[in-house]
Amino acid sequence: MAFAPMGPEASFFAVVDQHRASLLAALRSGGGEPAGGGVRPASSSEVLASIENIIQDIITSLARNEAPAFTIDNRSSWENIKFEDSVGLQMVSHCTTRKIRSDSPKSVKNFALILKILSMIYKLVQSNTYATKRDIYYTDSQLFGNQTVVDNIINDVSCMLKVPRRSLHILSTSKGLIAGNLRYIEEDGTKVHCTCATAVAVPSNIQGIWNLITDAKFLLIVEKDATFQRLLDDNFCSKMSPCIMVTGKGVPDLNTRLLVKKLWDALHVPIFSLVDADPHGIEIMCIYKYGSMSMSFEAHNLTVPAIRWLGLLPSDIKRLNIPKDTLIPLTKRDQMKLDSILKRPYVTCQPFWRKEMEIMADSKMKAEIQALTFLSSDYLSRVYLPNKLKFGGWI
Amino acid sequence: MRRRGRRWAGLACAQAGREGVARLGVGAGGSRSPVGRRESRRCWCSPRGMEGTAVAVCEVDEKPTILMTDSLVIKNFLRKIVMVHPKLSFSLLCRAENEPTLNLLNGIALVVNYQHYVSRPEFGTSELFCSRIHPVLGHPIMLFIPDDVAEMGLSRELILTPAAALCPCPKVFSNQLNRISSISIFLYGPSCLPLISPSQEQPTTTVFKDTFHFIDWKKYHLCVVPNLDLNLDRDLVFPDVSYQVESSEEDKSQNMDPQGQTLLLFLFVDFHSGFPVQQMELWGVHTLLTTHLSAILMESHSMVQDSIEVAVDQALEQHHQAAKAHQKLQTSLSVAANSIMSIVTGSTSSSFRKICFQALQAADTQEFGNKLHKSFREITQHRFLHHCSCEVKQLLPEKNDAEQSTEDAHENSNLELLAGISKQVKNKRLRRGSLRQGVEDKQAFHSARAPSPSEAAPRPAEPTAASLTPSRAGPGRDLEDALWLQEVSNLSEWLSSDPGP
Repeated sequence: MAFAPMGPEASFFAVVDQHRASLLAALRSGGGEPAGGGVRPASSSEVLASIENIIQDIITSLARNEAPAFTIDNRSSWENIKFEDSVGLQMVSHCTTRKIRSDSPKSVKNFALILKILSMIYKLVQSNTYATKRDIYYTDSQLFGNQTVVDNIINDVSCMLKVPRRSLHILSTSKGLIAGNLRYIEEDGTKVHCTCATAVAVPSNIQGIWNLITDAKFLLIVEKDATFQRLLDDNFCSKMSPCIMVTGKGVPDLNTRLLVKKLWDALHVPIFSLVDADPHGIEIMCIYKYGSMSMSFEAHNLTVPAIRWLGLLPSDIKRLNIPKDTLIPLTKRDQMKLDSILKRPYVTCQPFWRKEMEIMADSKMKAEIQALTFLSSDYLSRVYLPNKLKFGGWI
Repeated sequence: MRRRGRRWAGLACAQAGREGVARLGVGAGGSRSPVGRRESRRCWCSPRGMEGTAVAVCEVDEKPTILMTDSLVIKNFLRKIVMVHPKLSFSLLCRAENEPTLNLLNGIALVVNYQHYVSRPEFGTSELFCSRIHPVLGHPIMLFIPDDVAEMGLSRELILTPAAALCPCPKVFSNQLNRISSISIFLYGPSCLPLISPSQEQPTTTVFKDTFHFIDWKKYHLCVVPNLDLNLDRDLVFPDVSYQVESSEEDKSQNMDPQGQTLLLFLFVDFHSGFPVQQMELWGVHTLLTTHLSAILMESHSMVQDSIEVAVDQALEQHHQAAKAHQKLQTSLSVAANSIMSIVTGSTSSSFRKICFQALQAADTQEFGNKLHKSFREITQHRFLHHCSCEVKQLLPEKNDAEQSTEDAHENSNLELLAGISKQVKNKRLRRGSLRQGVEDKQAFHSARAPSPSEAAPRPAEPTAASLTPSRAGPGRDLEDALWLQEVSNLSEWLSSDPGP
């Protein structure tokens, strides 16, 4: 690409290229490509018909003098989750459900709010307009109480109708950022030209972006915005050009995850993650890679099992002689989180990850990416990441 | 029996087990109006007495109409006595023996059978109510004595202890909201003798003519007016003051219980000092209180107000919880119905709309909307919103098996509400309110004792949930605690604005 700055010599990416070749080979052999399933994009008329069916059922119940109820898949139970290496966490086909009854004091409000949001979705789809979750919350903030209530109901509705959120005409506000060697066109025709110097916001309509153009050798997911900005300041994108950097600023929102998935599907370039060497960082990386339990019904659109853990590995702490006083003891909560991750189904197929987590558990210490600055202020961008990329230091 | 234009009727009153009021003299005279001037009849205690017995002497007029009225006044006077002296037995009229009582902290044993205070609920609804009232105490406060009253010989310090209860107490709160329809105030002096004014000129209850004097009813969203429609000839304890709560337009439009509940407010005035009181002095103070109670309460206005407010707040707490739950249900059902209406009316699919209209047998949109709202109301008509805490107590294992199984059968639909929250309550340690206090079934007579200075000293308002004497202890206590916590958790769940995912 003409706009690509000069990066390292081509030989620098030999191992990365090799890794990409193996990923492509896996895809070709069919072992790495998701089988599809779960929720799928639905047409407007399908969404409208689904909502009408639900309303019809409710009215039929009322006509029979029976209290109507919604039956919704239980998204918060590990019993309903299965792990598939090629997809990540996904819901089992016959999962347990929960009833949201209209005649129970515990659930009557939730029942009403689901109907309220269904009626709003119905109007949005009918009029072919879009709203964010925040917009929906502000239509009656007093009724909804807080944003989390709206978010959960939208996910429940998406799960109940078996259609992705986008098909419900509900957008989520993006908080993620993207930088590096990438150009694309948004649904409305806007041409976006990402650069290595400044970041652009992850678009809110990922499904609508098209004509993705890049020469990137790899995509680096950075857990924290501070690290992301530091890498931009250090001109990491240019030095490692051509590459793409993405941050979800902590736990990624839906659009950031959709973008990473879209880039993987479109480009099939190796994706690496740079997270803190702590349970929270590992959890975030797992969300990108394998998905989350609550959104497992949409795993096929969100997960990228090809993601690799580049750093900061717990074993790096000892290997690099990072001063002990820069490390932080694991809290009780950290230890509980670590134990919980170690019990998850995907850890069994990641023996190296398990080993790293055991190192952390044994040392009872965690480290932030910033711990590397004690070695040198630009150690991360100048030494750590280049070496990892050059010599294949990911797992 | 003496004749002087009036008759004196002597009533034998037996009191077993302990010394108490030795002789009662009950006089009725003056006014001839059955209701409006009832306070003008004199009621007094004779200082003369013998241990274990009392004699009530009643002065009545011979004229038949007046005699009947006077008899009713006497009956009510005696009924008020036995409400707090259940061991007393008036063979002529009033008995409260073998009645369940609740020992209040100040030593008063109050009869808690609700049928003494209000008429039986309408046929078919009585099983929805607890058979007992659950009074809660306000702070005992020391009363300031006005100088002119003190000069009349009232040299001892007096304390006032209010207690409040809703009557009848609903076992469960359904989607039909109970409204408070009246307020009854009962005044008692030392030794728990009713304070009834001997003359019309100086009625004991003057200060209560202003309904807002001690209680800001607006705080409870109650529109209170004096009740002028009183009927002495009922088998109920006659209140010294009665207010009526006017129904709001909102009440009328909503699904309200027409009979309503009564808020009972008991005001016990007693000696502060722990020293024994001579009968003469007791009767002297009682007489003074019957004429000067209003002035005494006025002198300590703000403290009296605070103390009463604490008791009323607690007594109405569960009522308010039920009202909030009811409001929440109504709002939710309205949102649900309006959302369905929005989809049906906004749909461009004529077949969909036709199916919906046919299902509810509606001819047009307006009829469909009306039927939709009505259907939602009806399906929740008999659903219980939550338990009254006294009902939770009745699930305790100390009942025999037969009783328990009956309760279980009756409560099947309600237990599911408790089951879902059992996990949540394990770690909760919420303050136990007085409503959880058990009811004493033993029939001990408790004279009004003087509380310790720490109990009686005026202090700022704070919840007095522990004011009632705990009456239940032993192995069942842990279970009771757990059930109570479940109940509180159920209430808090209803108050939570976040419905959860």
